Amino acid sequence: MILRRVLAAIPMLFLVSLVSFALMRALPGDPVDVMLGSSQKEMPAEDLKLLRQEFGLNQSPAKQYMLWLSGWVKSDNVASANALGRSYRDGRPVKEVIIERIPATLTLVGVALLISFSLGLLLGILSVILNLKNKKADSVVTAALLALYSAPNFWLAFIALAFLASPYSAALIHLPILGLHPPGAEPSLAYAAEYLLLPAIILSSRRMAKVALYVRALALDELSKEYVVSALAKGLSLKSVITNHVLKNCLIPVVNLAGLSLPALIGGSVLIETIFCVPGMGRLMVESTFGRNYPVLMGLVMLYGTIVILANLLADVLNNVIDPRLQQ
Amino acid sequence: MNSAKMTALKKNTAATKTGPKANTKLIAGAVGLGLLLLIALAPLFLNLILPIFGLTIEPPISNLNAVNLAPSLNLPHILGTDALGHDLVKMIAYGALGSLSVGLCSALVAVTLGNIWGAAAALAGGAIDSLMMRLVDALLAVPSIILLLTLSSILSAPELVEHFPPFLLKALGVTNYTDGLLPYFIVILAITATTWLESARVARARVLAIKEEDFFLAAQALGSSFIELLSKHLLPALATTAVVEGTLLVSDAIIMESGLSFLGLGLGPSTPSWGSMLKDAQSCLTAGNWWAAVIPGLLICFTVLSVHMLGEGFFASKRARGKIPS
Repeated sequence: MILRRVLAAIPMLFLVSLVSFALMRALPGDPVDVMLGSSQKEMPAEDLKLLRQEFGLNQSPAKQYMLWLSGWVKSDNVASANALGRSYRDGRPVKEVIIERIPATLTLVGVALLISFSLGLLLGILSVILNLKNKKADSVVTAALLALYSAPNFWLAFIALAFLASPYSAALIHLPILGLHPPGAEPSLAYAAEYLLLPAIILSSRRMAKVALYVRALALDELSKEYVVSALAKGLSLKSVITNHVLKNCLIPVVNLAGLSLPALIGGSVLIETIFCVPGMGRLMVESTFGRNYPVLMGLVMLYGTIVILANLLADVLNNVIDPRLQQ
Repeated sequence: MNSAKMTALKKNTAATKTGPKANTKLIAGAVGLGLLLLIALAPLFLNLILPIFGLTIEPPISNLNAVNLAPSLNLPHILGTDALGHDLVKMIAYGALGSLSVGLCSALVAVTLGNIWGAAAALAGGAIDSLMMRLVDALLAVPSIILLLTLSSILSAPELVEHFPPFLLKALGVTNYTDGLLPYFIVILAITATTWLESARVARARVLAIKEEDFFLAAQALGSSFIELLSKHLLPALATTAVVEGTLLVSDAIIMESGLSFLGLGLGPSTPSWGSMLKDAQSCLTAGNWWAAVIPGLLICFTVLSVHMLGEGFFASKRARGKIPS
């Protein structure tokens, strides 16, 4: 079962790479045209030819694609760096430019995933308990969650930023707001935790609301099932029915949702990183979009796709581990 | 049984199955969206009527004598102004037109394309089906905003725009002096390209399910032609899910557009939208002007909430009548 999932992921990765490569080639002209722009008219024809040869552009598209693909796995040398492309901005190899941005994004998204699921689960359970005890309080919580779910992350982000930057907040809370570490200081994990807290909370907000609403709907559905009635009739307390039976059954779809949440969180990190000046992949994405830095863009599309496919694979495997029905 | 009794019975069963809750959601959503459409269309309608009395509503213009005015009951700026002195009431109305038209158009195109793609894959079956759906899976693996940014960067590249067919450029009103509707076209195309995937998946699953159902098999056995099967059985069944998908896509598209505009990749400076209002509001904040940031954001929340309610209410009522498998 797990092996089949892994095998199914391989053609997906292949297709994602094909899509990213095809997107780059959807533009008229080749990378040299785009890189040089109008200044190529001033260059001698031999130089242009040499440049195209250096970037492997004189070969067939299929060969170019194979070279580009192998550039990801091959050790770093000039040829593989050229095959993968060089950033139009500073001529550095795409791989190098992207790899240095990965840790910040993964930390941000990881923390956001953790917050959204732990808090979301808690709020969902709270909402279910309220639903059983006090319907009015439940509808207030549900309405608040729905409101949170409809607020775009980037809007919350810059409202929070404005609040923290205003004089009113200084007395209440003190949080660093921009970047990853104080200017001049060496980047470290402690700084990163401090600086990424607010962006991660805001990034997780919509997801958290969704998880809470999802858990609530799932648990209420489970509670109406017959096994709950029989467990209660047997004399078990409501608390133990919820914790031992209902939540266990809700866990599987929630783990599934975690896998599906990753693309959304990674996608959300683009705007959040831009607003909070976090030097991650998302900010690189925005910079490259504005600079029409196509080699970097294509590399990022490929990398984002790969991360999502691997995350979905992980969620599948986890599901397999916790759901005994799937193991047979 | 006479027809009055029939309707009474139908109403009764519908009420017991859905309960009153589903309908309140539907109504709340419809009222919310209706209100938003009213806001968006108000300037157009008023400009049809007001000229009779010798009045017109001008598009928002900057007025440096009235920057960052706080909301107050004093006319003419009830909701205040932004850093360039644009009246926020006008900005909201004109921005609603931008945001909602992008949302509606891209949802419409995406749902149509997705349903055609998904239904075609399901009907074709075999290798074509798996090839078509694997492409959808691969595109879905890339987070939508990544695809959106890449596409909007590629689509708006001057090299590519030069290669657009002349009739298209003419239809969009692109001249040497103005981009016309080109930014709309690019934004809608980019959003559509990222949102049709999910509806293709849903449509495929739906068609596969219908193909196995008794009524479809019976129609096939009775010798219905392909056209008949398509128009009488498949399309009506698909339409229900398509409407639900479509409403949810409207809110996705509005959030996407606001994100793009917020980054400065949206409809361009000459077309207000709620996203571009948020972008401009960033510079207002330093002047202590929070209302320019809060109001458009609340409107986006309100839109998403209305669409969400409408979609859920519609889904629940259709499911109660057995039109959507639960």
